[in-house]
Amino acid sequence: MKIAVLVSPAVHPVSGRPCAGEADLAALALAQRLPGELQVWYAGAADDAALADYLARGADNIHSLSLSPDSDVLAALGSALQGVDMVLCGARSGGGDGSGLLPYQLAEQLGAALLPDVLDLSKSDRQWQAVQALPKGVRRTLKAGLPLVASVNPRAATAPGWSYARLQQGKIKRKAATGAALAPVVLEPARRARALVAASKVSGHARMQGAIAGGDAKQAGVVVKQGDSVEKAQVVLDYLRQHQLVDF
Amino acid sequence: MSFSLAHALTGLFWLGALLLLGGLARRASLWQQGRSASVSWLGLLAMPKRYFVDIHHVVAREPAVARAHVAAAGGGVAILLLSALNYGLMLYQGWLDVLLVLMAAVMLLGARMMQARRLQAPPRLSQGRWQVLPARLRLFALGSLLAAGLLFAGPQLGMAGQLIAVVALLMLALGGAELALGIGLGWPMKHAVAGLLHLAFHPRAERFAGKSSDLKPLNLAAGELGVAKVEDFAWNRLLSFDACVQCGKCEAACPAYAAGQPLNPKKLIQDMVAAQSRGSDPAYAGNPHPGREAAVVVKPGEDIVGSVLAAETLWSCTTCRACVENCPMLIEHVDTVVNLRRHLTLSRGEVPGKGSEALANLRNTDTVGGYPLAVRYHWAIDLDLPVLQPGEQTEWLLLAGEGAFDMRYQRALRALVKVLKAAGVKVAVLGEAERDCGDVARRLGDEAGFQRLAKANIATLAQYRFAHIVTPDPHVFHCLANEYPALGGQFDVWHHSKLLEHLLARRAIPLKADATPLPPLTFHDPCYLGRYNDGFNAPRNVLKGIGIKVVDMQRSGRDARCCGWGGGAAFTDIPGQRRIPDMRMDDIRETGTGRVAVACPNCTAMLEGVVGERADVIELAELVAERLA
Repeated sequence: MKIAVLVSPAVHPVSGRPCAGEADLAALALAQRLPGELQVWYAGAADDAALADYLARGADNIHSLSLSPDSDVLAALGSALQGVDMVLCGARSGGGDGSGLLPYQLAEQLGAALLPDVLDLSKSDRQWQAVQALPKGVRRTLKAGLPLVASVNPRAATAPGWSYARLQQGKIKRKAATGAALAPVVLEPARRARALVAASKVSGHARMQGAIAGGDAKQAGVVVKQGDSVEKAQVVLDYLRQHQLVDF
Repeated sequence: MSFSLAHALTGLFWLGALLLLGGLARRASLWQQGRSASVSWLGLLAMPKRYFVDIHHVVAREPAVARAHVAAAGGGVAILLLSALNYGLMLYQGWLDVLLVLMAAVMLLGARMMQARRLQAPPRLSQGRWQVLPARLRLFALGSLLAAGLLFAGPQLGMAGQLIAVVALLMLALGGAELALGIGLGWPMKHAVAGLLHLAFHPRAERFAGKSSDLKPLNLAAGELGVAKVEDFAWNRLLSFDACVQCGKCEAACPAYAAGQPLNPKKLIQDMVAAQSRGSDPAYAGNPHPGREAAVVVKPGEDIVGSVLAAETLWSCTTCRACVENCPMLIEHVDTVVNLRRHLTLSRGEVPGKGSEALANLRNTDTVGGYPLAVRYHWAIDLDLPVLQPGEQTEWLLLAGEGAFDMRYQRALRALVKVLKAAGVKVAVLGEAERDCGDVARRLGDEAGFQRLAKANIATLAQYRFAHIVTPDPHVFHCLANEYPALGGQFDVWHHSKLLEHLLARRAIPLKADATPLPPLTFHDPCYLGRYNDGFNAPRNVLKGIGIKVVDMQRSGRDARCCGWGGGAAFTDIPGQRRIPDMRMDDIRETGTGRVAVACPNCTAMLEGVVGERADVIELAELVAERLA
């Protein structure tokens, strides 16, 4: 099985220097746990130093598709990754103009299934099973056959520690590539979230009144004031049975 | 009879000499596993001075043991030399026998004193063969005494004499075996041979000419990445491990050991011995690394860390040099720890705790804490402290170091600037051009990171013109003063305690005239100022100069206990039974002063981090600033 991991430099939040992106590192670490032949790919205009962190943290070598800064990496990556069974990448790049759309576009181009925001990947029968991270700690299991593209959550796996020896041994293999022109980036102000509108503007008290003492007897409820607690409970039970809300 | 006894002694002497040489050859083959090292054969000539002067400085701190050793070793060496003359060369002179009897008596006395000490051995001493060594030495001394006495007395003793002669020969053979076989079989007397050679071929020969506490740079371009296996040590390092006498003075001084962290420096050295001898030496019979088994499994060919040694042992070290300072055999424990750490960090990328985060911060931001460089001097924004621009000049360049990001230490820095201004010192700072000095990176084994930072700093400093550098951080001070020269950076670096001392001595600092006497306090010596740089007097003179009496702790000066920060130990944070700063605070409490003066941002942070009731922690500069007129 051929596995490709896509990496790109992130921007350090304090110094602005290029460093490894969290999610891309997690993708690299997750891929290292899978059986198969691992390739690490980068497409873009970053120099070798910007990719050094990935070498130091476990990538033996990186295939770098040299593109001019103003070109779209999709086409170049798509043609380079033909024949690859599994593509892993970070769910989102660690800086720059990354839109987070690359895995979707790449899956479309390769005709592969997409497993978004993956925490873990394992083989089950002939398919690959992924644990997907959803908000608030919710997990969901996804399954797909090969070929597949998985975008990896930053918490999926921890890459090996930064090692100077690995940095020295690692190689960046550059290939010239041509990319399609990047669609011009259009910056627009964030849209203000639309406030939720209530279906009815009547106050809560009025709605309660309507529910229990409306003019129409069918819609309205009954206020039971007479009788002891058993009789009152009997009325409630009758109501529930009438509406088939209990079955005894 | 005397004729046959004399010949027997000749035979015994040469047999012993042959066994010793054979053993030495065997041991030398173990040392040869190591890498080559540039050593000077002239070291052999320097050996007597190193033995009688340099070692004596350390040994004499425990006078009773020193006297016992002088008697036992001096007597023993004299016996061997006289025997070589009289019996080895077959001179058979009566007057040499008289001398032999005298020397044997001296050795007997020394061995007796050592045996007496072993009766109530402090727990730091190793047991096993070391425990019975004095008795064996007594046997040897007594045998020598009897044999030489018999030979001097002549043949008229008859049957009784023959009997005594046989007993004496037996004693000599038994006791002498300890000397002759020691080096070959790794018995205690190995220390005599290996120790002397270690003095001659010491890995830090420069320490005999003066202070030598800097770590040596790795040649990264040549692929040097620290020590993974025994073969990666220089051969004279392997030799140095064999010099260990297992006296445990390092163990008694080690703050990590006292805190119950899994490091016993004595055991660490013995682990190295076990690794190089592939476990063929007698089993170690001393205290283990706290919480660990004493027994080690040596797997030839495997990395040292992971087989004979746990990584936690290395990361427990605070590099405070208390072990090195106390070692009577002048073994360099800290070098060994850092050499092994370098492999873990550079090759394996395994740094525990927050250590890897600190190293990542250094790579990405040039600060340990991951701060923007531009905020380093924010604390000085209202102090009118000039920020030096390239090409400009000043007399004193102040490097604040990492403490500048700590809000507590910023108070100390402000006090320092205030004092320097009051004294009329022309001082400026680098502003955001100042990077971390690389101390933490280097102690955590990231030699590549250290060299990058050091070279960058040297290049930066070359753009400015200044006469001296002053820093309140002993780690910055040590790095710049002692470790940058190897990378081409020569600066005149002062710790602020020395500058304050200098200014006070010249009466340059205007002090309050009618000062009320201040309550006494105690002073905590920073390792990197004190033991690393012999800066014991300057801070004490500063306190004296502003009229404060110092009540020293029991462990102060050369014996001061580390605060627990050094060597990146605050980042790797290996758990133990106690915390080192808590123990140091106990030392401070014992003085009853309720206040402690510090002269290091890291000591400040560690001691202020002690929870519960604690003494006030005040920086040296703050104390001076309080007394400004």
